Amino acid sequence: MPISVLPPAPAPAPFANKPQYGHSLDDDFEDEDEMDIDSLPTGHQRTSQTILTPGQLVTQDPQWMRGHGTFPLEDRNSVTGIHSTLAGTLQKTNKLLSIIPLRARYTPEIGELVIGRIVEVQSRRWKVDVAAPLLANLLLSSINLPGGILRKRTSVDELNIRSYFSEGELLVAEVQQLFHDGSASLHTRSLKYGKLRNGYFLSVSGMGGGSGVVRAKRQIFTIQTRRGGEVDCILGVNGYIWLAKHVAEKEGVGMNKLEEAAAADTGMYSSQNDEIGAETRGEIGRVGGCIRALVEGGVKVEEGTVKRAYEASLEVDEVDGEEDYLGAERGRTVVEMVLSGRG
Amino acid sequence: MPLDSSSYSIAQLSTQAAADGSSYLEMGLTKIICTVHGPRESPTRSGSSSQSPGAHIETSISIAGFSGTDRKRHGRNDKRTQEMQHTISSAFSSTLFTHLYPHSTITISLHVLSQDGSLLAACLNAATLALVDAGVPMSDYVVACTTGSTASYAGDGEEADPLLDLNGLEEQELPFLTVGTSGGEDKVNVLIMETRVQVGRLEAMISVGLDGCRQIRGMLDRVVREHGERVLEARVA
Amino acid sequence: MAPYTNIPLSPAELSYLHNSLSQNPPIRPDGRSPTQFRPLVAETDILPSTNGSARICFADGTEAVVGVKAEVEQSRTFVSATGEVGAEGVLGLGAGGVGDVDMDEEDDEQTSRAGKGEETWLEVAIEIPGMRDDDALPVFLSAMLTEALLADGELKDRLWINRRFHWRLYIDILLLSQPFSYPLPLLSLTTHLALLSTRMPALLSEKDEDPLFNDDWEASHFLYPQSEGRSESQRKPPVTLLVMSVGENIIADPSREELAVADAVVAISVAPSSTPDNEMVLKTLALRTVDPPSRLTGAGVPTALNTTAGGTSLTAAEALVLREKDQGQTVWRPPRGGVKRAVITRMIKLVTEQGGVGQEVLEGLAGVET
Repeated sequence: MPISVLPPAPAPAPFANKPQYGHSLDDDFEDEDEMDIDSLPTGHQRTSQTILTPGQLVTQDPQWMRGHGTFPLEDRNSVTGIHSTLAGTLQKTNKLLSIIPLRARYTPEIGELVIGRIVEVQSRRWKVDVAAPLLANLLLSSINLPGGILRKRTSVDELNIRSYFSEGELLVAEVQQLFHDGSASLHTRSLKYGKLRNGYFLSVSGMGGGSGVVRAKRQIFTIQTRRGGEVDCILGVNGYIWLAKHVAEKEGVGMNKLEEAAAADTGMYSSQNDEIGAETRGEIGRVGGCIRALVEGGVKVEEGTVKRAYEASLEVDEVDGEEDYLGAERGRTVVEMVLSGRG
Repeated sequence: MPLDSSSYSIAQLSTQAAADGSSYLEMGLTKIICTVHGPRESPTRSGSSSQSPGAHIETSISIAGFSGTDRKRHGRNDKRTQEMQHTISSAFSSTLFTHLYPHSTITISLHVLSQDGSLLAACLNAATLALVDAGVPMSDYVVACTTGSTASYAGDGEEADPLLDLNGLEEQELPFLTVGTSGGEDKVNVLIMETRVQVGRLEAMISVGLDGCRQIRGMLDRVVREHGERVLEARVA
Repeated sequence: MAPYTNIPLSPAELSYLHNSLSQNPPIRPDGRSPTQFRPLVAETDILPSTNGSARICFADGTEAVVGVKAEVEQSRTFVSATGEVGAEGVLGLGAGGVGDVDMDEEDDEQTSRAGKGEETWLEVAIEIPGMRDDDALPVFLSAMLTEALLADGELKDRLWINRRFHWRLYIDILLLSQPFSYPLPLLSLTTHLALLSTRMPALLSEKDEDPLFNDDWEASHFLYPQSEGRSESQRKPPVTLLVMSVGENIIADPSREELAVADAVVAISVAPSSTPDNEMVLKTLALRTVDPPSRLTGAGVPTALNTTAGGTSLTAAEALVLREKDQGQTVWRPPRGGVKRAVITRMIKLVTEQGGVGQEVLEGLAGVET
């Protein structure tokens, strides 16, 4: 197959520095016409499609409260107005104004499912990279210990801390709380969380464009693949994604059974992969390619779009001949099919 | 005094997918690529147990060997580069909301591909665009430009108008300064002058510079809006 | 040679990747075939103040810019009657100066250029963000690229103007993104494109007088002239590609995670050589092994040894037996030992054969408009 060398995207037309006086530019600094935010549809949460830029005045109406992405500024008449700190769109939630940036680092929120990688092991906790401005903490007391969850943490556990998670290992966890500096504290106290194995890791956080994994009802789901059995997908809200061979559901998660189940699950902290067939590996690669194609096409990544993209890639195979690589051309075709399928 | 109409500008955001924020800026023949990484956790410095209350801004400028007419290898440690790096870091430390990211670091990397005057001003403008692209909250853009005094060349010294946006040749001949503003026309953030000029001429130069900054802010804002609109259009709800 | 940054991958991931690539046929994480390259974006002539320039962005977001500048420099060597080139010795006790030229020397400069070039006339400088100039990675990369450029002996000869002056060619390579994956192929391809687009001003002066050039840039000639017909002038700058092996499988254009599980990684520099039949035949200019980062990874702990996973702690001898029996099949362990010679031969062939990877890359790049 020939290597595809693409021309660069055309540069935008240069803008001449036209001599401009008068109010058109004055307004950029002061007396900017207030954004007509009252014209935004009312309701619980509404987002407009107008771009706000840093420093821009949003409103001077005192009825609004300031949310994320805004700051107060007094103008020369001592009237305090709400200004934007980011380039993004406006979101109204009841009386709260906040700005959603076009693109920003992941900020953890309580209750979110994230995938993280251990970067540091300290005496009683781990530091985890979750693609946020600060490393998240995972305390020894926040993980499931084999032998029952109500087992007391002993000093032996502290000495053996590396046998649970060591540097570079991947885990899926939930954000339990946030510290005052904004860093997250994670926990894995459920059978669906824990160390990850039997699969492939993929990151979409560094790819920009504002698209990526969105918060949805189900971050963990399974895809029935054509030839490779089932593939588990875990979409971390922070843009880290894990694709793995499906593991049989653990039965019964009643409170009583949790303890026994945890005690019986000896594979919780294992680094040893099970046997994975070649077809499953191929299918995992295909799902990964679908997700990358979705990101490049600016489509948000969630259960519905990923499954549709997978179906679309199978259809493209039937038409264009079987090929596993979903870069460039094929990727774009798949994305178009996903978009048209919805409309 | 209008901006010199012969200097066309090009500005783009998100030029590098692998960076948190990036931009490409041309002011005349000066071409700069800027990438921003962060905010991300600062590497723990041994011995400093006290964490900084706000994000630390680190700037690094690398001037390519082919950027001038003659090929010249620029070390990272020369004083002029270090001074520019420090100026840029401190200019943004007052406009970025660093208190939102304690003990983390924002890294600004500037690559100068070609220089023809107004280097510091172009670096500041490119860094502003890249920081906006990275989604780092700020109180306003930091915009900068250069002004030079032609007074010594004019017949009647008092009436010569200062020049705006100098190119390389003009910078070599005339005394000039770089002025940067943020958050309003009278809020000067950066004022650097390496040459000498009569103090009476200074006020005129600065006021022309402030006007130039206003125009540049308008241009950069337009670029950010157009980019944002394109992103929203391409993104499917 | 110095290995590069450590790999943040867990033993389970490394084991999965290694096993996938060991299958027959190898299953790559993105579904590519073993010889398929990722798409890249390329453009040339982006910097008007240079003799030649290029920019390439790979699909993983890494980006590089290369600028080529040529400056006239006075030669400090002389050429004796036998064609030997004398130079200033190590202690600066050079024999003879600029004017010390043997009068029996042939005057026809075109044909007698051969062998007159000096390797010092070429300077390659690499800038990698976050690294100083004397760090291991920039030093090794520039040595590798310089070696490939000088290997066919022709480039330096083209820099000869007359006996007293020569061109000094400066190649400045900027890596714009962070060095996540080994940047050698990116920098090499960008340098190749920049050199292909490099133009040198046309010489007006004659023989050994002070060089005078035609101001008209239209009259300039390419450093690597590409003419349609004759293959003699089909000289192209070299291209250095990375090829890796996992077991018996050979994989081209490895991504960062594939490199992390490689058994062996080789950097091969190739360039077309002329043949009378007008075919593009590639010859190997340089070959270097790269320490695979996989050797720096830590071994995974088999479940049987993992006390938290229900294993017991065995004696050291028993643990060793357990690991050796597994042989890295289910639990990751860093690769040991060297590479089989047959595998290296196959890697070279993959790049140099007709219709192979090397030819594909060169043809792809030739299509970029200069």
